[in-house]
Amino acid sequence: MRKREDESLGGALIAMIDVVFQIIIFFVCTANLQDSGRDPRIQLAVAPHAQLVIKKDPREIVVDVDSHGSVTIARTPLSSGQLLHVLRKATAEYGRDVPVIVRADGRASHEMVRQIMDASAAAGIWRIKISALKEKGG
Amino acid sequence: MARKRRLVVEHPGELNLVAMIDVAFQLLNYFIISSRPLDVLANLDILRPEADDISTKEEEPPQMLEILVHRDGYAIQKRNVGLAELDRQLTRLGGSSRNVSVVIKCTGNSPHAGLVNVLDVCAKVGLTKLAVFSM
Repeated sequence: MRKREDESLGGALIAMIDVVFQIIIFFVCTANLQDSGRDPRIQLAVAPHAQLVIKKDPREIVVDVDSHGSVTIARTPLSSGQLLHVLRKATAEYGRDVPVIVRADGRASHEMVRQIMDASAAAGIWRIKISALKEKGG
Repeated sequence: MARKRRLVVEHPGELNLVAMIDVAFQLLNYFIISSRPLDVLANLDILRPEADDISTKEEEPPQMLEILVHRDGYAIQKRNVGLAELDRQLTRLGGSSRNVSVVIKCTGNSPHAGLVNVLDVCAKVGLTKLAVFSM
């Protein structure tokens, strides 16, 4: 009787450990997924004193600018007209407080960043966030 | 005979801890070696002047500091300074009053990192009334 109890306990323990490992593997594999939307070519400027990104607004529009000055959203290159169209659509849908985050390469000229700011202003968005690296990973 | 059989008997539900720990450490090693530390992102909030403000604004409010970001560096109140000097001056200013409005003017050919550096210094000092003009 005692032996049977031990056996069933051992079997349950094996299954539990199995599940725990599956969960660990899942979390480790998905931890980097949120980072995968970032363009690896963009080297953000370092701002160690900037406010940490804790909470993400699901409405946020992240506009990337690489070192050559090309503007992309979700790795899709956009002309200034297309960008304005996207921002106008966003403001029509979510309101004027939709957060626009400019993720520009530190080496990019301000002229390209200015185009995004001007397009945001034309769409009625005055509050803009500039993305920077608080701490460089590796 | 009976003694021999007793030696051979194994419990099917018995947990082989040694092998399991071995596998667990293999997995742990794999994940530690293959993982890349993530970059920590931060945001710097700025305000763009509204179009109406530009046309109607004739005189600047008294508590306003102007920082110019150009291709070769920075200028504070039209005086060329390095980043260290800018940091020192803003720290001194931030210590006396945090209600100062900082107007950051960027030339078109200035690197974006220059603007980020100025915003970072302002965040460090605690100056929050920031506006960015493009020239």
